[in-house]
Parts: sequence; C-alpha cells; structure tokens
Amino acid sequence: MKQNEHAIEVDSLTKKYGNLAAVDNISFTVKKGEIFAFLGPNGAGKTTTVEILECLRKPTGGNAYVLGYDINKDGREIKKHIGVLPQAFNSFDRLTVKETIEYYASMFGAKTDADHLINLVDLNDKKNDLFKNLSGGLKQRLGVAVALVNNPEILFLDEPTAGLDPNARHEVWNVIRGLKEQGKTVFLTTHYMEEAEILADTVIIIHKGKIVATGSPEELIDNHGTRNFLILQKADKNAIPLIEKMGMEAKYDGEKGDIHVTLNHNIGVSEVLHALTLKDIGFGELQLKRSSLEDVFLNLTGEKLDEGVKA
Amino acid sequence: MNRILVDLKASLKLFFRNRSTLFWTIAFPCILILLFGAIFSYSTARYDLYVQNQDLANGSPTQFSILFIQALNYTNAFNIKQVNASANATQYALDNKLTSLLVIPKGFENQTMVAKLTNGTIKASLALIYDQSSSTGMAVVGIINGVINQFDSAISSKPSYIDTQLQTIAPTRYGYIDFFTPGIMAMSAMTLSIFGAVEVNTRYRENGIMHKVETTPMTRFEWILSKTIFRILMSFFSMAIILGIGILAFNLKVTIDAVSLLLLAACSMLFSGIGMVLSRFVKDADAADSAANAVTFPMMFLSGTFFPLEMMPPFIRSIATVLPLTYVNNGLRDAMIYGQQQSAIYYTAIITVLGVAVLIIGSFITKWEED
Repeated sequence: MKQNEHAIEVDSLTKKYGNLAAVDNISFTVKKGEIFAFLGPNGAGKTTTVEILECLRKPTGGNAYVLGYDINKDGREIKKHIGVLPQAFNSFDRLTVKETIEYYASMFGAKTDADHLINLVDLNDKKNDLFKNLSGGLKQRLGVAVALVNNPEILFLDEPTAGLDPNARHEVWNVIRGLKEQGKTVFLTTHYMEEAEILADTVIIIHKGKIVATGSPEELIDNHGTRNFLILQKADKNAIPLIEKMGMEAKYDGEKGDIHVTLNHNIGVSEVLHALTLKDIGFGELQLKRSSLEDVFLNLTGEKLDEGVKA
Repeated sequence: MNRILVDLKASLKLFFRNRSTLFWTIAFPCILILLFGAIFSYSTARYDLYVQNQDLANGSPTQFSILFIQALNYTNAFNIKQVNASANATQYALDNKLTSLLVIPKGFENQTMVAKLTNGTIKASLALIYDQSSSTGMAVVGIINGVINQFDSAISSKPSYIDTQLQTIAPTRYGYIDFFTPGIMAMSAMTLSIFGAVEVNTRYRENGIMHKVETTPMTRFEWILSKTIFRILMSFFSMAIILGIGILAFNLKVTIDAVSLLLLAACSMLFSGIGMVLSRFVKDADAADSAANAVTFPMMFLSGTFFPLEMMPPFIRSIATVLPLTYVNNGLRDAMIYGQQQSAIYYTAIITVLGVAVLIIGSFITKWEED
C-alpha cells in the first residue's frame, strides 16, 4: 500500500478487447476530497475505466492505485473502502428502501444508521416503499445512499443522472454536492457537460479511450473553448451580411426572429454592436452565451458530446 | 457467514412477497397431483403382465387355465410373459422389479368347477402380486377384474365364481397417490432450483443487481452458497406444501426421513448447478429460461415422474438410466414408500456426488468479474 495525497493514481492504464482499445494508455490522478469528472460520449471508455478502478474488471496493461491499494492485488481491500453507484442502479424489487440499505450495509459488515442515510438523500417519506415503486430519480438517490453504507472514502458514481428528468437530475446533484461537503472524494462519469461543469473540480475529457484534455471546467473552457455566442433577439435580417463581412458566422432563427452570432477571438461584442449601430440596424435584446464544455469537446474532437457523432 | 444469512433472509422476503411466484410454487405441484392422478386412472396403455401358471395336469397347463390366459390376451391390454411354475412368485416379482405378476394356482380348473357346482359358495381364486407404486399395477388390477367378470359370466349367468387375492409388493396401507407424490416432489425441487439459478445468473446480471453486489466484499462463494441454501429451503417448502395438501385431501401416508430430505437437498444442489452451467452459455435471460425448459420438460416425462418407465419403449428406458431425475425419483420412492434404506442411500450418494460436482463446476464458471 502506497501512502500519498492522491485518492486515485492511474498509470498507463489500458484495456483491450481483441484489437479494440476501450481504454488506451491513460494516466491521471484524483486528489482527495475533490469531485472529479470523467466526461465523454457513450462508448468513450468511461465505464470501463471506472470498473477497473472498482476492481470489477482486470486491465490489459498499466496499473492503478486506489487509496494506495493496488487494483491488481488488493481488490477485496479496495472494495471495503469505496462506494459504488453503478450506471442505472437497480436493486431487489420487493425490498423496501430501508431494507435495501440494511442489506448492503450487512454485505460490508458495517453498522450503518439506515435512517441517517435515508435522511441524507431525502427519502424519509419513502423509506418503507418497495424499490419497484420508486421513480427513476428516487432509485438513483437510494443508489447514492447504498453507496454510502460503508462510509467510503471514495465514491464512484457512474452516470448518476442518465435518463433522469431535469428535476430529478438537480436532486441528485444536490446530494453529490453534499458528499463533497462531507469530505468525500467523488469520481463521477458523465456524458452531460452541464453536470461536469456544475459539479466538478477537475474534469478529464475522454474520447475513444484516450484522454484529450484535463483541468478545471474554467481552465478547459479558457484553453480550448474557442467560441462565445452573441444572440441578437428579434433582429433585423440585414445584420447577417454585415456580420459575415466581419468574418463571423451568423444564423437566422426564423421561428424566434433571432440572429445567432459565433464570435471569434479577434473581434469583441463591442465591435459587433458598433458596426450595427453605424448601419442603424436594430434588434431587441442581446444575450451573450459563454463557451461551454460542449464546445471544448467539439473543438478537441470534432464531434458532438451528446452522441459522439461528427459535427 | 453473516453475509450468507443476510442474503438468505432477503431472498426469503423477496420470495414470500412475490405473490405470483408464491402461488405457482404452491399451485403447480398440487395441480399436477390432481391432474395426472386422474389421467392415469383411465390409462389404456399396453402393460407387461407376468403370469405364473401353476395349474398343471401331467406337467401341462390345464385347459381352463389356458383359456383364461387367452382371455387376458384378447383384451389387447397385456404383453403376457410366462414365469416358471416352480419359482417363488413374490420373490421373483421383487427380484425382477415387476409391477404385476398373476399367479394361477394349482387346482384352479378344479376349484372353478367346484364353484359352479356349489353355485359360488366355494370360490376359485387367483393371486395377483402387484406394485402399487406404479400406476401400471393399479391399471392391471382393474383389467384383470374385468376379464374375471367376463369369465364368470361365460361360465354361468350368475357371476363371482372367481376371487382375486391381491398381494402388493409394497406395504398395503399405501394408495396410488402416495406413490405418485415423491415424483412430484422431485420434479418441483428440480424446476425451482434450475429456474432459480437461471433467474439469478441471467436476469440479475441483465438488470444490474449482480453488478452492484459484485462491488461489495461479498464473494462469489458466499453468493452461490446463499442462493443454493435458499433453493434447498424452497424445495423443502414445496415438499411441505405437497405433503400438507396431500394429507388433507388424500390422506397421504408417506414417510419423510433424513435420507429423503438429504436426497431432495442433493437434487436441489444438482439442478442449481445445471442452471448455473446453462446460464453461463445462454446469457440472455429469456433464452436461458427456454434452455432450462428444454432440460426439465423431457426429464419430467422420461424419468418416471408421471409415466411408469415400463410403459416406455426400450430406447426411452435406456435414456432414463442416464437422467439424474430418474435416480432422484427412485431414491425418494425407496426412502418414502418401500422403506428400502440401503437402495435410497445408494441413490442419494449418486445424486450428492453428482450435485456437488456440478455445483462446483457451475460456481467455477459463473462470472463474478466482468471481462
């Protein structure tokens, strides 16, 4: 067992299926107490990586240490110290919320206060409901509670909000923020850029098994998010040729009557507004939309994050 | 150990809370007893009938006994096979595991004449040694009685000159339903175990439950042991239900002893192992269910659970000798009906060795880590 300040250390990790490298020689570290997000489209290698760290899969090459324990040798020890919310958490349909927590607590031999965990994920009203009667969001919240039964130092949350409606997603986000406040290290995989941007201290963008960028969301956007957007609401169509003449892309949204301007590094918002004023071209309100991780991903890979398809 | 008990407790809760599973676990064997019991009462198959004709005159069968055997032949219900007149009939039936042996006693022709002269006051008698454990035995008794009635009518308009002395190979206090019951118990243990194992190994993997359990310190050994104990308990539960209904409805008198419980547990282990092996190769849950059906369905019919093996063509009898359920059926009947402990222990040993071996193979090939 190694002693250091990192919760997770990954060194040249590789997982191959035949000739296909699902995870291709990746290295990174996760600091203790941070929310760390693995961001990438479906099939990028996120779940494979996380399952190797959870000791559910064996790597083809490289190594990794979780809390100083070697994933190739200390699987049983690692499992005692981590909490896992698998993708699309599912449990025994006819056990209640409380029974489910108690069941998994017993698997760890942990003396857990089930009511405290139920309270933590705000499931007090549902604690005697059967699992099969819970909504998707409630199931995920129960999954987080179950991941906490052994009071783990690290939580692996694999796509914790996939398939949830916006309200349920925000509920789960609140729970994740609460975990950080408790000093837990959270390793999150997601294909929702908004989730990574809002929650994560550090983001790794993974694409086709390789790491393409690492940093805080702000750093990634500053370094790789090349484009900000200006939206001119209810604008005069004559603005389009003028903006294009300035070397920028402009699209007209016929339904709303808005013009979407893709700004570039060289020309600022003030210059666009000045040019429009000179030509007496009117518009209603204007809205500035900052570059996002979505744009970072698009810029780095040439693909959209949602589906992993060519833009 | 605690993990095994917790998982076992959870499995029991899940079982008793699932009303449809609970209902079918209880109803299925009960329906089978009633349904197949009724069907066999009207069976029209051709049976092996062994006949020992002791009614000889100068070393040759009497004319009357020959006529009687011919009458039996005319029914087209029997394959009549002759047994040497000097053999000990009861011992012969036991040694050769016969389901029915008709003894035409010495002086049968003369007795019938006397019966006619005394107008039935003194009756002639036949002895039928038969095995109540087989539906064949019961059917044979019925058909022979029919032939005797016809024969009586032919001799005189007033029937009942001939009596049939019934002698069973098994103790007489048992009825047909008692002998049918062990087969249903074995079949029930088989289906509960094989489908239970398939459910856990395919559906739990498909819906992600296995995946979550694998993230805990629970080991594959603990998981499999817990599920196997659960299936053994379910087999005992099913046995208790069958017994309960049987005692209330049919006045069952079978004996449950340690050997029969051990054999049922071994049966459950064996079929749990087979279920695990099946689900390793057929990973889709629905396809695995079909595969389990493909294994259990023929076995139900070819191993003497419903249909007596002696009714089957020789090649099917050969198949039955390699089907494990045949040994479970035989062993349970030996333990619960015949009181043949030695034979029951022999069958139990076979199934236990086989059960442990298949369970170990099943455990070994059951995936715990992903690829």
